[in-house]
Amino acid sequence: MFKKGMLFSLIAVMLLLSGCAGFQVGSDKGAALEAGAEGKVVVDFWSFWGSEIRRPVIEKIIEDFNNSQDEIVVKHTFVPWGDIWTKELASIAAGDPPDVVINDIKATALRGQKKQAMNLSQFLEKDDISERFYPELWEATLYEGDSYGVPFNTDTRILYYNKEAFKEVGLDPEKPPTTWAELEEYAAKLDKKNGDTYDRLGFYPLFGINYDVWMLNAAGQNVVDNKGNVEVDTDINRQTLDWLLGWKERYGDNVINSYKSQIDSQQSNPFFTGKLAMFVNTPTFNTQIRDYAPELDFGVAMLPESEPGNGHTSWGGGFVAEIPEGSSHPKEAWEFIKYLTDQDAQEYWAVKNYDNVANIKAAEATAKNAEMSEKDRIVYQMAVENMPNTLLTPTPLQAPDFPTLINPEIDNVMLGKKTPTKALQDAQAAVERLVKENQ
Amino acid sequence: MKDAYFASMTNRKKVLKIANFILLCIGSLLFLSPLWWMISTSLKTMKEVMSFPPTFFPTDWKWENYLKTWEAAPFDLYTINTLTITILVVIGQVIVNSFVAYGFAKIPFKGRNVLFAIVLSTMMIPGFVTLIPQYVLFSKLGWVNTYLPLVVPAFFGGAFNIFLLRQFYMTIPNEMIEAAKMEGASHFYIWRKIGIPLTKPAMATVAIFSFNGAWNDFLGPLLYVNNENLYTLQLGLQVFKGEMNTQWNYLMAGSLFVLLPVVILFFFFQKYFIQGINLQSGGKS
Repeated sequence: MFKKGMLFSLIAVMLLLSGCAGFQVGSDKGAALEAGAEGKVVVDFWSFWGSEIRRPVIEKIIEDFNNSQDEIVVKHTFVPWGDIWTKELASIAAGDPPDVVINDIKATALRGQKKQAMNLSQFLEKDDISERFYPELWEATLYEGDSYGVPFNTDTRILYYNKEAFKEVGLDPEKPPTTWAELEEYAAKLDKKNGDTYDRLGFYPLFGINYDVWMLNAAGQNVVDNKGNVEVDTDINRQTLDWLLGWKERYGDNVINSYKSQIDSQQSNPFFTGKLAMFVNTPTFNTQIRDYAPELDFGVAMLPESEPGNGHTSWGGGFVAEIPEGSSHPKEAWEFIKYLTDQDAQEYWAVKNYDNVANIKAAEATAKNAEMSEKDRIVYQMAVENMPNTLLTPTPLQAPDFPTLINPEIDNVMLGKKTPTKALQDAQAAVERLVKENQ
Repeated sequence: MKDAYFASMTNRKKVLKIANFILLCIGSLLFLSPLWWMISTSLKTMKEVMSFPPTFFPTDWKWENYLKTWEAAPFDLYTINTLTITILVVIGQVIVNSFVAYGFAKIPFKGRNVLFAIVLSTMMIPGFVTLIPQYVLFSKLGWVNTYLPLVVPAFFGGAFNIFLLRQFYMTIPNEMIEAAKMEGASHFYIWRKIGIPLTKPAMATVAIFSFNGAWNDFLGPLLYVNNENLYTLQLGLQVFKGEMNTQWNYLMAGSLFVLLPVVILFFFFQKYFIQGINLQSGGKS
């Protein structure tokens, strides 16, 4: 009897302890009061920005918005990166989603088609803000001509090179390679072989990015476009694969794998220590150099072009602010999104986080912002200049999962199990089948 | 002659023992090395974490990482939240499953085997299939953003635990139950006075597994809790992971803290842990 009594009192105590918060049904009202929102509309905003750097920045923007008017209060909730969209999907299915969510820009049209994100044309008719953003980003939010998300931030891929190493081998540190041929030539000069290993590697194209960026760079278009046209089995892609195989043969698997494991682990990058002379990555990679290799003397450049005049096409992504279908305060959510993507908020975000933003004016202003160091401005300026070259690879509606069909084929090529010709033929056929199934 | 033989044998035994011991030491070190890597990462600066070649011991022992980790998010609140959920889940799982298992093992009734098969078949449904329907259900009940979806199901039995406890109950002779019944005891009384004391080891196993499950649950709190004040430790740890960079040193410090109760639990209840694993793999201990 004593034991039983203890058990019940334990449960009672636990319920009492937590009862206030965790077991109160319908605590949304409580949340509204908590945000100090009596009489105001509460906009529920989910982001994955919980780090000690990002969180204060987004919360300052929200605070400014809340203070700028007295009808709306935005309540920010951090939801873990990646899982945030699982949670969003569940809440949309249950008909009780938040009002604004940050989501991947590439699949925005797909979410529009599946009625997960709200059609924004009703708001855009009144205030058309599409001109604010890089056209490539805005395009990606469209499904059948209507927008389903507003671009927030973005990125691109640029070439980082070690100026010291350039000087050491007699290359002009102000003249980075501009073509694939030059890239090879410079890399050969920068290589420092030591027996079977390398003290310094000039360049390897598959560090930091994948084969698809080089295909994009050479072809200037996506392998699957938004109409479902499949351009996998082409001469350009074959040449690109041959080129990539050439690099692989030159350095050999052992060297490549040992470097790659260092880069992939995110724990140590050979570019920081001068063991890799050139490296392709996002402009925000600059912040890692700033933190972990502040002494490094480096320059930045656009991706080299496959042939002179072919274009420095690069690859990017980003995020949108969207209103999930079923949001209870879409109008107020729109007001907040407008604020979030306007120049002031965007520039503040860009400077404080060193992040590329979707708002053109804000991006250009950031590149000149006096708060940043000269080096930071140089890299940022390169990012801004590179935006017109940057293509997004929006998820094609007809073949959302097409990379899962191409990737294994390319892996086979790189492992020497298939010739590029055969692999591209097989991939082309597989993707075409997928498109047909989805039509 | 004889003495020498025995002496050499004890010597041989000794050597064998020492060799055994050394081998076990090497093995333990090998298995402990990931844990050490975690600890050493948690004490490094991010710069050292990123350096190459990696260092096995931190050059600069950053004990303040633990303080900074603790301050990066309200981890004290998260600890209380996680404990609340975990304790309630353990209570529910242990009592309810034991009760149900007793019924399946000791009360003969029509359709018992069919019902038991249905209970077991719920184990075959992957969690992701029921994820959205379950969410919609709890949402309709107005339970989203509370702990109810995390705690209440624990009071409705779980197939694996029912199965595990039923196997234990099967070993209790029916004569014992019959005798108690003759004395006028109800099934509830028999369960409480005979069933529970005799199946304590199995209940401990269930408790441990439930504890680990609830303590480490990520998806449940992720889906059902919206208010950050209700977040659990597993959700809190995610603040160190971003789309670009991960704060490895803080993440490791936080993970070590979250790991601690599980390790302590293991030290105290090793016996039941191993018993549980035996049961899981089908063997009887």
